Amino acid sequence: MLLNDQGIGLASAGPTLVDLFLREQQRLPAVDRFTREIDRVGLPDQSRYYSTLLPASPPGPGQQYAFEVDLDRCSGCKGCVVACHSLNGLDELETWRDVGLLIGGSELAPVMQHVTTACHHCLEPACLNACPVNAYEKDARTGIVKHLDDQCFGCQYCTLACPYDVPKYHAKKGIVRKCDMCSNRLSQREAPACVQACPHSAIAIRVVDVSRVMENAEVDDFLPGAPEPHLTLPTTTYKTNRVFPRNMLPVDYHSINAQHPHWPLIVMLVLTQLSVGAFTVGCWLDSSLDAGSAALLRPYQATCALLLGLLALGASTCHLGRPQYAFRGILGLRHSWLSREILAFGLFSGLAVPYAAVCWLSSRPSGLTVPGATTLIAALPALGMGVAGVGIAGVFCSVMIYVFTKRELWNIERTLVRFGLTTAVLGIATTWLSLMILGVVVHDPATSQLTHELTPVLARALLVASALKLAVDLTLLRHLANFRHTPLKRSALLVAGVLWRYGAVRLVAGTVGGVFIPLWILDEVSRTGSLPGGWFSIVATLIVWAGCLVGELLERYLFFAAVSAPRMPGGVRP
Amino acid sequence: MTTLADKISQLPLLSLIHQRDGRLTRELLQEPGGFGLGQVPSRLKPDSTTNMVCGFCSTGCGLKIHLREGEAVNLSPSTDHPVNLGMACPKGWEALSVLDSPDRAATPLLRNSRGTMEPVSWDAAMQEFVRRMKAVQAEHGPHSVAFISTGQMPTEEMALLGSLAKFGMGILHGDGNTRQCMATSVVAYKQAFGFDAPPYTYADFEESDALIFVGSNPCIAHPIMWERVMRNPHSPEIIVIDPRMTETAMCATQHLAIKPKSDQSLLYAIARILIKNNWLDQAFLDASTEGFAEFAEFVEPFDLARAVTDTGLQAEQIERLAKTIHERQRVSFWWTMGVNQSYQGVRTAQAIINLALMTGNIGRPGTGANSITGQCNAMGSRLFSNTTNLLGGHDFTNPAHRQKIAGILQIDESLIPTQNSWAYHEIMEGILSGKIRALWVICTNTAHSWINQHVAREMLDRLDFLVVQDMYHTTETAQLADMVLPAAGWGEKEGTFINSERRFGVLKKVRKAPGQALSDFNIFKLVSHYWGCDSLFDRWNAPADVFETLKECSKGTPCDFTGIEDYHAIDAQGGIQWPCPAGSGIPAQERRLFADGVFYRENGRAKFLFEAPRPMPEAPTREYPFILLTGRGSASQWHTQTRTSKSAVLRKLYPEQPFVEINPVDARAMSIRPNEWIDVASQRGQMRVMALITPAVAAGQLFIPMHYEATNRLTDAVFDPYSKQPSYKACAVRVLRLNS
Repeated sequence: MLLNDQGIGLASAGPTLVDLFLREQQRLPAVDRFTREIDRVGLPDQSRYYSTLLPASPPGPGQQYAFEVDLDRCSGCKGCVVACHSLNGLDELETWRDVGLLIGGSELAPVMQHVTTACHHCLEPACLNACPVNAYEKDARTGIVKHLDDQCFGCQYCTLACPYDVPKYHAKKGIVRKCDMCSNRLSQREAPACVQACPHSAIAIRVVDVSRVMENAEVDDFLPGAPEPHLTLPTTTYKTNRVFPRNMLPVDYHSINAQHPHWPLIVMLVLTQLSVGAFTVGCWLDSSLDAGSAALLRPYQATCALLLGLLALGASTCHLGRPQYAFRGILGLRHSWLSREILAFGLFSGLAVPYAAVCWLSSRPSGLTVPGATTLIAALPALGMGVAGVGIAGVFCSVMIYVFTKRELWNIERTLVRFGLTTAVLGIATTWLSLMILGVVVHDPATSQLTHELTPVLARALLVASALKLAVDLTLLRHLANFRHTPLKRSALLVAGVLWRYGAVRLVAGTVGGVFIPLWILDEVSRTGSLPGGWFSIVATLIVWAGCLVGELLERYLFFAAVSAPRMPGGVRP
Repeated sequence: MTTLADKISQLPLLSLIHQRDGRLTRELLQEPGGFGLGQVPSRLKPDSTTNMVCGFCSTGCGLKIHLREGEAVNLSPSTDHPVNLGMACPKGWEALSVLDSPDRAATPLLRNSRGTMEPVSWDAAMQEFVRRMKAVQAEHGPHSVAFISTGQMPTEEMALLGSLAKFGMGILHGDGNTRQCMATSVVAYKQAFGFDAPPYTYADFEESDALIFVGSNPCIAHPIMWERVMRNPHSPEIIVIDPRMTETAMCATQHLAIKPKSDQSLLYAIARILIKNNWLDQAFLDASTEGFAEFAEFVEPFDLARAVTDTGLQAEQIERLAKTIHERQRVSFWWTMGVNQSYQGVRTAQAIINLALMTGNIGRPGTGANSITGQCNAMGSRLFSNTTNLLGGHDFTNPAHRQKIAGILQIDESLIPTQNSWAYHEIMEGILSGKIRALWVICTNTAHSWINQHVAREMLDRLDFLVVQDMYHTTETAQLADMVLPAAGWGEKEGTFINSERRFGVLKKVRKAPGQALSDFNIFKLVSHYWGCDSLFDRWNAPADVFETLKECSKGTPCDFTGIEDYHAIDAQGGIQWPCPAGSGIPAQERRLFADGVFYRENGRAKFLFEAPRPMPEAPTREYPFILLTGRGSASQWHTQTRTSKSAVLRKLYPEQPFVEINPVDARAMSIRPNEWIDVASQRGQMRVMALITPAVAAGQLFIPMHYEATNRLTDAVFDPYSKQPSYKACAVRVLRLNS
């Protein structure tokens, strides 16, 4: 057959047609075959289109650069997003610009409006103020908010702080990156990538008066569906000749999705609060127990609190993209609650270690032979107050970290109560646990006496704190009745919806550990006059502690996952 | 000059505390790119650049490819290209990144006895291809093998495929996916003008003082054509005839939200108003048209009352549109798939053409009855794919044409079929009736895009041998294939495209194809070699050789481009529009047809064509109460998404999950909540979609973008009788709530 003759014939005589074609396919002749374009100096070709989209002169005092978006010209093609990606050489999945969609109107006059958006280079950049390592700078002359990639240690706090969801965490690099208004291009009198690329000239760079931005932020007509401008004073202007209908909403307004839970932060927050709580309960015991009993319990209690506290601080570094730069964390002390928290907990652990050591010293008769021991032991209650005080300050900083983001679920009252009650619940539960460990390790009448005396007190306190905490947590669900999709209703919908399993386990664990077992113990005490015997007591205490801990960890999971994160209008999404 | 402060800040210890520079900062460093580019990322700085035409839609944008050692590393839109004036849509910007996908077919694949695909050598694949194709032909006759081609390949490859199949392999039936998008315009133009000749140039978008878009959403489907509309300095009236509030309709000064498929009635009613008011260009009618008197008589019954009933519009809206057409000096009419993809698309398109003819809005700047094409090379396919037409717009059934082409190709005239090919749907039906037993699908995705998908897939399943030749081995059709041939894509091979305004653009090879993928051109050459008919194509060693032959084929036809010297000439001039006959000198960059009022029909006159509008084939019923509209979803999606879904950035720019637009009134009536997942079902299939409640779609109608795989499970296989184009745009469906 012809086919076989040809096929075999070619195969036996040097390269086959297939070989020739495969070789040809790998040659790239375009440059040689076509006239080579001449490399030339002078203005970039595109400048003919964007010259009118740049300000004639740089900003003067009291002014800065800003994006101006002509909504009447934004067609929703999203060329700006991809141009920014390509001309800035971003990573495969990375985009610094987004285009969202607003819809509304009536049957007779439906309205759709695409909205291109990037960093607003705010007057009060939340990212900058939040950053603990000073990785953000607001250029004094241009007003551009620039991120220093090599200074960033990847804590991602800015991604929570920015109401516009601008800084994007880059897990592979361990840092955040964001739009810098193509500051390099602007410095060469070139337009930013998005401005160059918009087919309809919808994006321009303008010089704005700082005072005008502030006045405008007072009025709150930044953009329908966008976070309120008074939070960070964004400088972008959205202009339009259209009158938007009142029911204009982002097309993703009804998209309610769980947020990233940040597990290292969950562990860090819960365990630091546990530790601070345990030290605080320790102080209270110091003042209410006689010196002998206090000295008996103190070493165990302080050790539990210290170890779990150190674990918390370890967990917190797991959250960093570049933990080797953790030492930079306190640079932002002047403005960042995260820096303050790091400092407070650093100090806390710095004090807690010697405190625990002295506790052990005081519990050993031999300890008194150590030179200066008596002075140290005498100073113990004061030192303990110091540890607890610094710890409480640390917890307060933790609270403020989240309050600063101005998210509804994380407002000051809710977060203070949440973190405060976690401190109480876990502080008491851990003290109870220490008491149990003491009973297991030391068998003497004094210990037994202390256990009998203290257990009902701790059970009562835990009962009150846990019940309160659970009640507070449950109050979120009342927002399900809201008519509007407020941020709290969104949180409630998440807790009652996709996150319900977490909520249910949280409720069961917290109730068993913090309510049922304490009630049972109190009942036992009131009926029999003594605690349940032997193993019962040990297991019950373990359940109390584990139940409370698991409950609080899941409570914190919901704290992160169910928060409603503000953002600019997005696209169609579930 | 370094200041003391700079020096201090460079101390190693200080930089540890406040590091302004370093590895991460340098990753985003920019420097002047040269070649007129401005600042570019340093790591992507080119050592040369070259321009080429984009390979997605028919706009035909010029892209400047940034090269390093001859290989593309980045791209940006060409500032000087007359089409796109320095702009591109997201697809164009991402044209290179979709080439890097792990889904690329890198070796021929053959389905083994266990039913799984197995890599084989080209030699083995070609032997098997020829063995099985010939076996099918031996058993069931030569016409039992068919091919489905595309509007996405260079013209030269289309011509080689069509010639190989029809002159070399004895195949009679071959069609292209252009049947799904452009066939209606082709037939409408051929009948009215005498040749498939979209008359406009993109400058018309800027020169009109009234633009009328019928079933067209260029804002999203052709974003760069919309750029030209937005640059129109004449504060034009923009009139959009579309049942939906689209992005384009948002920019309209008049949006006529008609009932689906009432466009033909509306257009006839407009014609009647123009006639009644004598708002006509009588001189043009007399000199350049025929059949107007009959048309005037025909539209008589289409009075305003009837139009109001048919379209659901207010009488004032219709009258205002007619008045606008009369009052404005340069009125252009534009249509796209809303017209083409209809069971009566040809007559609807001709109803548009009629309006342009009767008002003399043709041949002058800013006017025209203008079909906006879909794919990057639909226009090349229309003229040179050797499917519906014999090469160069010739007729298979015309002996003189056969003789001419046989002479140019230097082949035996008897090799040229004397009958026309079946259209796409006839080939598919041929599978069902057992007449087609083997199918070669090139660069298209039938299992996703063909209407009434369940049945379409059943048809493909029945084939004895299905070969898919594609860039990706993961397309829905490739997954059904017995053999996959790995093809090089845009940017990995050479050739030319013809855009919507008849402009040739050059495609260059700036990327190496993955693995053993070959250009479609060389795959066809291989097939001809293994088939044993390669002597027919001895003269065609490269696409440029085919280009020369096609030039000869075009000689003396309306699309004569014998004056285009070669690829270099096209490249240097930013594309060249046909016609460009030899000896016409360097042509102007923007040219339109019919300035002389002479059309391509034998008597030189354009013809009025018309027919009574027919009701929708599948009107809503009690059981299926909604009309489903389909269309493009976003500017970042292209057709069946074989390419656009391969870019991480493009994926971010469109809704990944299917959604349906539903009117608030309907949603309320069915207690559908925003973002709720619902099922939409027709008599043919069902799909799950997320509810997007918006008044942009009228009550009683639903809209689902066509890009989602499941959308065509719902559509109804109805076709225009003249163009054989599927009617994708309207069918009856119902909504099912998941929990009820």
